[in-house]
Amino acid sequence: MTTSHPKGSSAGPPEAEVVSSEPELRIGVFPCKCGKNIGAVVDIDAVAEYAKTLPGVVHVQVNTYTCADPGQREIQEAITQHGLNRIVVASCSPTMHEDTFRKTVKAAGLNPYLCIMTNIREHVSWVHQHDPKSATQKAMDLIAMSVAKAATLVAQPELDVPVTQAALIVGAGVAGMQAALDLADAGFKVHLVERQPTIGGIMAILDKVFPQNDCSICILGPKMVDVAKHPNISLITMAEVESISGYVGNFEVRVKQRPRYVDMDKCTSCGDCVEVCPVDVPSRTDQNLTWQKAIQIPFPQAVPSSYFIDPEACLGMDLIRCGKCIDRCEQEAIIPSDKAKYIDFDVGVIILATGFKPADPSKTPRLGWGRFPNVITTLEFERLINAAGPTEGKLVRPSDLIKPTSVAIAQCVGSRDIGTRSACSNYCCAESVKCALLIKEHYPDTEVTIYYQDLRMHGKYFEDQYLKAREEGVKFIRGRVGEIQQYPDTKNLRVSVEDTTHNKLSMETFDMVILSMGAEGAAGDFPLPISCTSDSFYIESHPKLKPVDTSSAGVFICGGAESPKDIRDSVIQASAAAGRAAIILQKGRYPIEALSAKIMQDLCSRCGTCVSRCPYGAISQDGTGKFTIMGALCQACGTCAGDCPQDAIYMPNFTSQQIEAQIETALAENPSDKIVAFACAFCSYRGSDLAGVSRMQYPTNARVIRAMCSGRYSVKFAQKAFELGAGAVLYSGCHLPADCHFQTGNVWMAKREPRIRGWMKRNNIEDERFRVEWVSAGEGKKWQTIMTEMANAVKTPRKNIPTPKTQTVAKSEKSAKSKTKTTSKDKQAGKPRSPSKGASQKKTTRKK
Amino acid sequence: MKFAFFPGCTMAYRLPFAEKSIRMVAPHFDIELVDLAFTCCPEPNTVRALSDDTWITFAARNIALAEAEGLDILTACAGCHESLSLAKHELDKKPERKNKVNELLKGLGLEYRGTSKIVHMHQQLFDEIGIETISSKVVKPVPIKVVTHTGCHLLRPERILHVDSAEVPVKLDMLCEAIGMVPLDYMDKTMCCGAGVRKTNSVTSYAVLREKMTSIAMVEPDAIVVFCPTCFITFESGQRVANRIFGTDFKFPVFYYTELLAIAMNLPGMDILLAEHRVKIELPASAETKEERKTGAKDSIPSSP
Amino acid sequence: MGEDFQRNQLKELKETALPCFQCGVCSSSCPVFRVSPELNPRLSVDSIISRGKVPSEGNEWLCAYCLMCDQRCPMGVSLAEILMVIKNISAREGKAPPDVIESAESLMADGCQSPISSRSEKQREDMGLPKLPRANPADVQMLFRATGAAEVVELNRKAVEEASE
Repeated sequence: MTTSHPKGSSAGPPEAEVVSSEPELRIGVFPCKCGKNIGAVVDIDAVAEYAKTLPGVVHVQVNTYTCADPGQREIQEAITQHGLNRIVVASCSPTMHEDTFRKTVKAAGLNPYLCIMTNIREHVSWVHQHDPKSATQKAMDLIAMSVAKAATLVAQPELDVPVTQAALIVGAGVAGMQAALDLADAGFKVHLVERQPTIGGIMAILDKVFPQNDCSICILGPKMVDVAKHPNISLITMAEVESISGYVGNFEVRVKQRPRYVDMDKCTSCGDCVEVCPVDVPSRTDQNLTWQKAIQIPFPQAVPSSYFIDPEACLGMDLIRCGKCIDRCEQEAIIPSDKAKYIDFDVGVIILATGFKPADPSKTPRLGWGRFPNVITTLEFERLINAAGPTEGKLVRPSDLIKPTSVAIAQCVGSRDIGTRSACSNYCCAESVKCALLIKEHYPDTEVTIYYQDLRMHGKYFEDQYLKAREEGVKFIRGRVGEIQQYPDTKNLRVSVEDTTHNKLSMETFDMVILSMGAEGAAGDFPLPISCTSDSFYIESHPKLKPVDTSSAGVFICGGAESPKDIRDSVIQASAAAGRAAIILQKGRYPIEALSAKIMQDLCSRCGTCVSRCPYGAISQDGTGKFTIMGALCQACGTCAGDCPQDAIYMPNFTSQQIEAQIETALAENPSDKIVAFACAFCSYRGSDLAGVSRMQYPTNARVIRAMCSGRYSVKFAQKAFELGAGAVLYSGCHLPADCHFQTGNVWMAKREPRIRGWMKRNNIEDERFRVEWVSAGEGKKWQTIMTEMANAVKTPRKNIPTPKTQTVAKSEKSAKSKTKTTSKDKQAGKPRSPSKGASQKKTTRKK
Repeated sequence: MKFAFFPGCTMAYRLPFAEKSIRMVAPHFDIELVDLAFTCCPEPNTVRALSDDTWITFAARNIALAEAEGLDILTACAGCHESLSLAKHELDKKPERKNKVNELLKGLGLEYRGTSKIVHMHQQLFDEIGIETISSKVVKPVPIKVVTHTGCHLLRPERILHVDSAEVPVKLDMLCEAIGMVPLDYMDKTMCCGAGVRKTNSVTSYAVLREKMTSIAMVEPDAIVVFCPTCFITFESGQRVANRIFGTDFKFPVFYYTELLAIAMNLPGMDILLAEHRVKIELPASAETKEERKTGAKDSIPSSP
Repeated sequence: MGEDFQRNQLKELKETALPCFQCGVCSSSCPVFRVSPELNPRLSVDSIISRGKVPSEGNEWLCAYCLMCDQRCPMGVSLAEILMVIKNISAREGKAPPDVIESAESLMADGCQSPISSRSEKQREDMGLPKLPRANPADVQMLFRATGAAEVVELNRKAVEEASE
């Protein structure tokens, strides 16, 4: 990925300007019952009483729904009435409401970054439903940890950046086209990038579309022309996004376009070239059921309406090897010298409409596709029944080109199977009923049987289709096809199914079988780290309330890239994504997070380690040898801080001091029972949230510390935790190699593992007490498993706790080396270091 | 390669001629066989069905015997292969089970460590020795049409055994091709022969066999090739029982693969072994050796290397 | 052993069976179900999931353990293994088929699942096959008793005798 500095962004604050001027710590704690969600498990009143005893806390207020209007108002009133200057809201996940409460305190005049959240719902009440006592204790501990952290929070200035008023839309299937037309109609410039030589996606090759069974290309064709003609849309086909740099409002995009070898402006699509081309290649549009030439147009209505040459198949665009098309083309449109091009442009927002792949039938070998010619997929059927297809719409079976008299349709192929994709693919039931109706419409005498597991006709008008199919005599048998065998002589097919309604085996013979293929995720193959589900669909920011946003600001998703869906749903989502994107584009400026890293110059030894850690090129060295961080480029991952040997990088709201205070507080009592679990904000923490949302129960040992990225977890955090007697430590991040939202934070964290293990070995700490795990936002189950396994690991007491002697030696050495530095660092961090330590000590004494 | 040879009860005492054929071909492929005091593998549908602990302990004892000698185990029977492999998988995955088993084995001076591999003759021939080497040893190709039945317990569970594709097995077909035979595709190729249920309900067992045989008969093969003594017996003797029960008329010759391999390699003494088969076959010798065979092939056999 | 053991087994069975969504791929792949509809692996699992009971009819003894169901289950449920546990439970209730018990007794006697006749020993000798070393019968019996099979065999023997009386 290329990196460069954004133009005209308002730069971050000058170095080391972080100073707190607040004289006295006045923390307000707001435990929330979340109705019964928290209140039914956690004894909130006891938690509130406990919170009152914590150092610095001057006000505690319980609410049933803190996030609701009255709850937010109470916080604001408390800020004014009690002069609160730090707020801890103990409710749900910060992923859910951190933003909400930051806005709340801001409205009351407090800097939003002085408000943090404690997750006592996803991390406590939802996952420890059967252990209220321990859950309440855990909630208390988590709040104490937050209060310890809050003590050193510092106000952060809020910044915004200008927005380039143009959009990149990737993928020009029906979703990408819709999003492009919407944004273009709203007056924004759109760059629409499509990998294939034509736009239209899967919809362009379908025959009829449910539930009204209207002609697919007849409704899609005009839209394709609109896209091609729209003055605000720049259409780039045969192209892929090569690199993206920058951030919301200011993305720099580089697209690589493959050579077409045909001049689109000159080509009149007359087709003369095809007549002379000697090379046959399987037709992609026709699902390899027939042939096309090396010079081809995918289908007559293709947009752009121009031929292209498949360079893999072409014999050679010169007169010696072949060159017949060059000879024949009267328009002189063939360009043998055509080359791949790079196209660069800037955009403010990105919409990913990259679609899904039809599932691969060869992954279900028991159904015989590929071995038995008369077993076909739904897409192959679409081409066979399509008037523009290889048989001009006459349905024949591939083995002998005879019209089938009996057809079976097998549901759930490539879906609802852990060997392929375990989820339902959403559209296939309706698709199959449509196929059955099409067969009945053309050939009423052909018998059609649909074998289904659960017929999910969930959409608007779908049930009417089902009823119609039954009226037309389509047989519906409940039972999933176990196997298909082919008769050696006739090539007829024996379909084995248990009719589960009657508990009877049915072994019927059919002329042809259609496999109702599901969808396979194709997301993730893109130069932006947007997290994906385990089956490769993009993950939305919130499944209900932000279904087309992603966790990366300014990047939106729609259509089959988000989840398998039909045309109508794709279009709905595309318009939604366009609408969300337009909000950013139209405003012209976008506020960015204020948590960018700062180098504490007097601690910096100028080793330059941080430069290699920064994936954004935000750190540079000036002529004097001084390193500085460019605020607007910094994405606040903290990987630089994680590896800084001098601990000289200040990460707002995730300072070493704050994290260490959290560790100390977490381990104040019975440390050997505790798991200090670090989780990164985008993957692992969300994975832990998902475990909560899914009510996956696990033991209460974990005390989770959230950081933006796993790159932030220094070696010394694990050491500190073990020195304080922690039972176990978890470092969890996004999956290696490429899932990290900050590109390489997880890679750098993984490199620290051997160092930590070496230290553990030297200090006689069992290996299994430390784990590095990769947990995606989709892996709630994995989080539960890890928590359960680690809880078992802490059942045995620690063999050895490194003696405080080593600890003090290490510390005194360090402080001796940089005595003066420590003082200045404390000053710059805004708060002296001692309060947090003092705080935790005070706390333990009070507890005792 | 030296192996602890595990012929299994069925092959050793009911199909000795098949075992003989393995012992005949083995030295030609640098396979050395060592006999150890093994017990039954043991068979899942009898012993394991009664007591899972008994099954795993006996299997562990068998494997531990080989481990003590520092040898991998070469199996000849699909059932033994699956039983030992599953036991090994379970013991290697679950240390607590391994420890429990080792408590008992300690009394016998044995320990299961998980160091020996379980290899079936099918794997050794296809995966290690390879089709090319096998073809190169063929002096008298066997030009007959066959159907192959790899056997449930070599194919499944695929995730543990990795012998061949569980749904579309092709390796035994390729082994047959390598010695001049023409393998035919047929319906129900991966279906069970029915042996597993014979002890519980013999009529059901033969009904399963009937289904399988009906599919085999559709392609009219000259013979059935198996890699498991239990499948061998089910097909060869079972078809006669099935004929009696269901009025069918199956009489297919059945071969354990290495018998045919020995024939193709023209190893001496195969005629005596083939005489033990209940359904005889007049093997049409390949073109170049046909005459030889008619005019007293017996004399010519010993002259081969 | 005893009740606790059974309860634990049922709990484990339920956990293994839980992903099953009753699609019927197992039964339609089962060679035995094809000829003897009494054995339906899907219904055996259903009994565990929806009734919380191990089926007691003894149909699971019809399972040939060919593992076709296991191979194809779209939810990765090891049906053959579940049926195996059901057989274990059924055997502890004295319901094992007599031929199965006979095989086990033979194994207990000489380490081989069917008795080794002098005829087959002779046949081996005639073919020039080596005499196979045999396990020490005392060892075999010790393992048989220590792992619970001897008990199950005895229990089933008794059940047969009682039934014949």
